[in-house]
Amino acid sequence: MTATPAHASSGAAIEVQGVARSFGDVHAVRDASFTAHAGSVTALIGPNGSGKTTLMLVLATLLAPDAGTVRIAGADPVRDARAVRQRMGWMPDVLGSWATLSVRQTLEMTGRLYELTPVQSRERARELIELVGLESLADQPTRVLSRGQKQRLSLARALVHRPEVLLLDEPASGLDPAARVDLRVLVRRLAAEGVAVLVSSHVLAELDEMADAAVYLDQGVTASAERIESSRAGARQWRIRAVDPAALSAALASEGFESVGQDHLGTLVSVASETDAAALLARLVSAGVAVSAFGPAVGDLEHTFLDLARGERPEEAR
Amino acid sequence: MTRYLDTLGTIILLELRQRIRSAAWIVLVIVVFVLVGVVTAMLWASISAFGGDAETAGVYSTIIFFVLLVGTLVTPAISGGAVNGDRDAGTLATTQVTLASAPQIVLGKFLAAWTVALTFLLASLPFLVFSVVAGGVRLDTLLASLGVLVLELGIVAAIGVGLSALMSRALFSVVTTYLTVAALSIGTLIAFTLGGLAFQSEVRSTYIGVDYSVGGEFDPQTGFPEQVECLPPETYEYLVPRFDYVWGILAANPYVVLADAAPTTFDSNGNPQDLFGTIATGVRAAQLAPELEMVTDECAAALAGDLDLLNDYETPQEVFERTVPSWFVGLLLHLLLAALALGGGIARTRTPAGRLPKGSRVA
Repeated sequence: MTATPAHASSGAAIEVQGVARSFGDVHAVRDASFTAHAGSVTALIGPNGSGKTTLMLVLATLLAPDAGTVRIAGADPVRDARAVRQRMGWMPDVLGSWATLSVRQTLEMTGRLYELTPVQSRERARELIELVGLESLADQPTRVLSRGQKQRLSLARALVHRPEVLLLDEPASGLDPAARVDLRVLVRRLAAEGVAVLVSSHVLAELDEMADAAVYLDQGVTASAERIESSRAGARQWRIRAVDPAALSAALASEGFESVGQDHLGTLVSVASETDAAALLARLVSAGVAVSAFGPAVGDLEHTFLDLARGERPEEAR
Repeated sequence: MTRYLDTLGTIILLELRQRIRSAAWIVLVIVVFVLVGVVTAMLWASISAFGGDAETAGVYSTIIFFVLLVGTLVTPAISGGAVNGDRDAGTLATTQVTLASAPQIVLGKFLAAWTVALTFLLASLPFLVFSVVAGGVRLDTLLASLGVLVLELGIVAAIGVGLSALMSRALFSVVTTYLTVAALSIGTLIAFTLGGLAFQSEVRSTYIGVDYSVGGEFDPQTGFPEQVECLPPETYEYLVPRFDYVWGILAANPYVVLADAAPTTFDSNGNPQDLFGTIATGVRAAQLAPELEMVTDECAAALAGDLDLLNDYETPQEVFERTVPSWFVGLLLHLLLAALALGGGIARTRTPAGRLPKGSRVA
């Protein structure tokens, strides 16, 4: 086994309460509160400049919060950074690597910095190279790596000390589709082994398939659970494709649904809830429309994210 | 403790692996080797021009000064970007999240930069050994000069690494390190010279001569007339710079520290035999206040028939022996500067970071 946490615990692995952090006049994070649990993948979602990376840096013991409390695996990053660092792995959004060192040396050195013995470091480096699929590049200097390969090295580096909390800042950027699938499988596997994973990303479809829970951050403030719930429950667009688009339009009109858009994949309609969507589908089928595809136009996370970003109350959208 | 040193060692190794394997370092070492070799050869060739009985002491001391010059020119470039360069490359934060602490990171980088600086000393070692083996270098001179040289290179490395942690941009910290070295090496000289000229004192010089127009024949032995007649005293006034007020500035000069710390051998005439002694006695002489009331009584000397009365020349050795050493003051000052830079650098590298200077980044 290659990626077992040193001592997995149940309950909240990341607890953030009222965290704020500013740089001079810039309030990067104003009021962030959330919890993330061991064994689950939590998505950290927000537009550019919403404070995701700053929040990640606070969690990674690099920045002290101006206000609020943080607990990582039960330890306070400000008071006992060492305890946090022993249990937390961080993959930064900036891909720095020791240019003249090889992939293997980089991981061995990182192991040594995590106080592994030389033998343990070598063994762990070998495991991780295999885990992230960099075998063919293991003895190349890291400067020759492509962006996606560096991304994998960075992930391996975050896993060197078998952390029980894993912070991934934009892990999927620069990865090709196959590597994204690998990443998703690996992250899910780590979660299954009891690691609490916090992933930030812009690629919401990616997170949809990976995350169990989501934290929405906008202008440095995390959205409350109620607001998320109302956004999730709110009206959303469904995409319907039929063999005969004209028949579909006619059937939709007779059902009182107005097409809100049309794209190359089908017709978009606004439906209030999943129940309503199911009912609509049944009626369309019974009306003899040959429906070939019927589903939400955007993923759950994207829908909620866009809804929150618009700042609209679900009532108004309806 | 061993765990602490283990991590410190890893940081040092990490630094060395990145710097020692760089092409720039290899080129620099070769350049230093060749330069010191050329200087040694030229000094050796010019020995016959000097004569003297311990020429190699002169060669040895000159090489040591040359290595100090080269070392203080190269070390800021090695050390001045150690921390902020890593921050730019995105490798500082990934080190900070490991179990390596800020003191380990900064001290590790300092020790690595010092080690690299010492490789330049190592490159000139063959020539130092040659000058020592050729004879004429005292063991205590050897140990003191090498010791001070090694320390001074460490001090420059510490200032460079400390500043690289304190300043956001690598370019600025490298330049500031160079300016610090220049301020100590050249700035102290300028301040000393200008300071001495700024404080001037008036010297009253009285001359009592012999009236050569009377007194009959000249004595071929002494050059004085047979009957010595004194002329009335003549008084001149002129200004002299007061270097004795500002000599302390030179104590901060690394070359002076090195020269003053290394024990010197004087020849039978009381002249120093190496460059250490030459520079040290020059600086020591500045400690002496000029005589503000000078009387040159040629007539009294003529009456006594003893020309030596006119000669109040002091040999460098006499000057050296009646003045105080200053090297430990300078060295202490340098060590203090180095400690301040490293201490400030460590404080700035600590995480979780509180206040950050404008425009700086964490990762």
